[in-house]
Amino acid sequence: MPQQPINNIGILMAHDSYYLLKKEDVQGFLDALSSKMSVYAPVKSEGQFNFSKLGKKQKIGLEGYINTEFPPKGLLMPEGETLVKYEGSTICEVFSSEKRAIFGIRPCDVHAILVLDRVMLGHGDIEEHYEARRKNTLILAMNCTEAGENCFCGSLGTDTLTEGFDLLFTDEGSHYHVEVGSAEGGRLIKASARLFSATSRKAKRPKLVFKKHIQTEGLEDAMKRAAKSSIWEKTAERCLSCGSCTAACPTCYCFSLPHHVDITKMDRGKITREADYCMLLRFSRVAGNNVFREHRADRLKQFFYHKLVYGKENEGKMHCVGCGRCITECMAHIDITEEAAKVMRKYGKR
Amino acid sequence: MVRDNRHTYRPRPAKVIKIIDEAPGIKTFRLRFEMQKDRKRFSFLPGQFGLFSLMGIGEATFSMCSPPRQKDIEISVRNVGDVTNAMFSMQKGDVIGVRGPYGKGFPVGDIKGKDIVIVAGGIGFPPLASAVEYIIQRRKNYGKVYVYYGVHAPEDIVYRYKKERWLKSGIKIFTTVEKKTGGWRGPVGLVTDGLKKLKLADVQNAAGLSCGPPIMLKFVSQELRTLGLEPDSIFLSLERLMQCGIGKCGHCNIGNKYVCRDGPVFSLSELRYMQEDVW
Repeated sequence: MPQQPINNIGILMAHDSYYLLKKEDVQGFLDALSSKMSVYAPVKSEGQFNFSKLGKKQKIGLEGYINTEFPPKGLLMPEGETLVKYEGSTICEVFSSEKRAIFGIRPCDVHAILVLDRVMLGHGDIEEHYEARRKNTLILAMNCTEAGENCFCGSLGTDTLTEGFDLLFTDEGSHYHVEVGSAEGGRLIKASARLFSATSRKAKRPKLVFKKHIQTEGLEDAMKRAAKSSIWEKTAERCLSCGSCTAACPTCYCFSLPHHVDITKMDRGKITREADYCMLLRFSRVAGNNVFREHRADRLKQFFYHKLVYGKENEGKMHCVGCGRCITECMAHIDITEEAAKVMRKYGKR
Repeated sequence: MVRDNRHTYRPRPAKVIKIIDEAPGIKTFRLRFEMQKDRKRFSFLPGQFGLFSLMGIGEATFSMCSPPRQKDIEISVRNVGDVTNAMFSMQKGDVIGVRGPYGKGFPVGDIKGKDIVIVAGGIGFPPLASAVEYIIQRRKNYGKVYVYYGVHAPEDIVYRYKKERWLKSGIKIFTTVEKKTGGWRGPVGLVTDGLKKLKLADVQNAAGLSCGPPIMLKFVSQELRTLGLEPDSIFLSLERLMQCGIGKCGHCNIGNKYVCRDGPVFSLSELRYMQEDVW
């Protein structure tokens, strides 16, 4: 449960204002936006979409876009970002001030950011580097028109949004329906007013058809009963402990804080943030070589339990948002929906 | 606890003002913050910890062994990793980065008036030493205090210079070695052996505090239960990898708990509800 409301960030006011934007005008809108701030949007490269900073007048192409290969967490906690710099006895903490908008972010990933907000800004301790980026980030979300191969957000209610966006785009064929979710979002529309026409109706969202599902009712209790189950040992036999699932997960936030020395000037250096993964053996290793989560099954369990049980207990919101990336990326074909189904079959109350 | 929240990871400089050679591979460092406001800000309870960094090498977690509200802070360090190894080549006057204090310490306020059983294993002694010093400063507020201390061999014994002062304050000290060397005349065995002989006047009015290797904590908690102590009167300080200190980086997770934020001191009753093996 969040212990305090996350002001100005997690909970945005709902505004009842709807607009239409012709598809050919999206480019104009983004170009105008780019002149004011960095705009990140899904850009296709080597067959995969990923969030990338748009260059000046860079053409946006969303043909075939279902979701990005990697989640947007990297925009809020960039890999290798410098947190602290030092030179001699002068030590200073470094914060990002880049103003930016993320365009085309899917509802599941917006839910994931709401989870990250609760972790990084909640529990009475604010992670200020996350906060610095988050408060300078506008969320221009986009509803899905088609479910991906491994999507199961339909089972979790994370396929829709009622909060967490500044603007919400819905593809309606020749145009986008745009819902304003914050005052800041409203200002963006105003700034490009000639491109938008007001409407009073809500968006027409297409019905999504999912191939994957997860049963959430009773899942937490069943998972708790399955804590000592052989299910985990069995699945761990296939697991490669590669960490792909955790790297691909939009809510996996664990990190390390390595120190780096500038070898050209030894009294100068920095502390950076690098993503770390509970799947890796070294994750829990302390000096003296004691490893607290030595067994692969324990590491795999930590991932599944964090996603399906602990997150809800700690942050009041399940950490799995149903994006399916962990399934897509797993080389051993381990599927969180199948694991949950196994748990329900064996430990669910009938 | 007041924490300056404007800087999450910036270590505050503190000068090494004294280094005590405790035992082979163990040193105690006395540190003094260079800035007055950092000194004031770093107010802690026994069992809380700090993150100590050598810029360019890394950061490591230590519980303070000195009592709170002292001008300087002290940490005892065993040379087992990169940071500690570098610390061992430090000299008086060198500077170390400090941030914290973090976590939940021993509930020294809640256990007032009780008899206190302290069980320390090896380099798990420092947070308990801080608790003993705290108790000595308020000696009348506490009942009998027993310190059971287990080490591998006699030469590993630390805080020898504190012993006399502690005994004078009515602290009963029982030191056990696993391996007898030299002229050791004390007991040989496990730290729990001595605990078995303890007779408490009123187990309802007693509390146990312990820190040490996981396997020791497991047996110590069993032994304290056998003595008759309730699970919510047994407090254990756990070790895990910690990097951020504020419940964000995930390394110290046990189930849904963060050892850095929810601990490092947990009552045995809290540990019973952990969703992952503790030891």
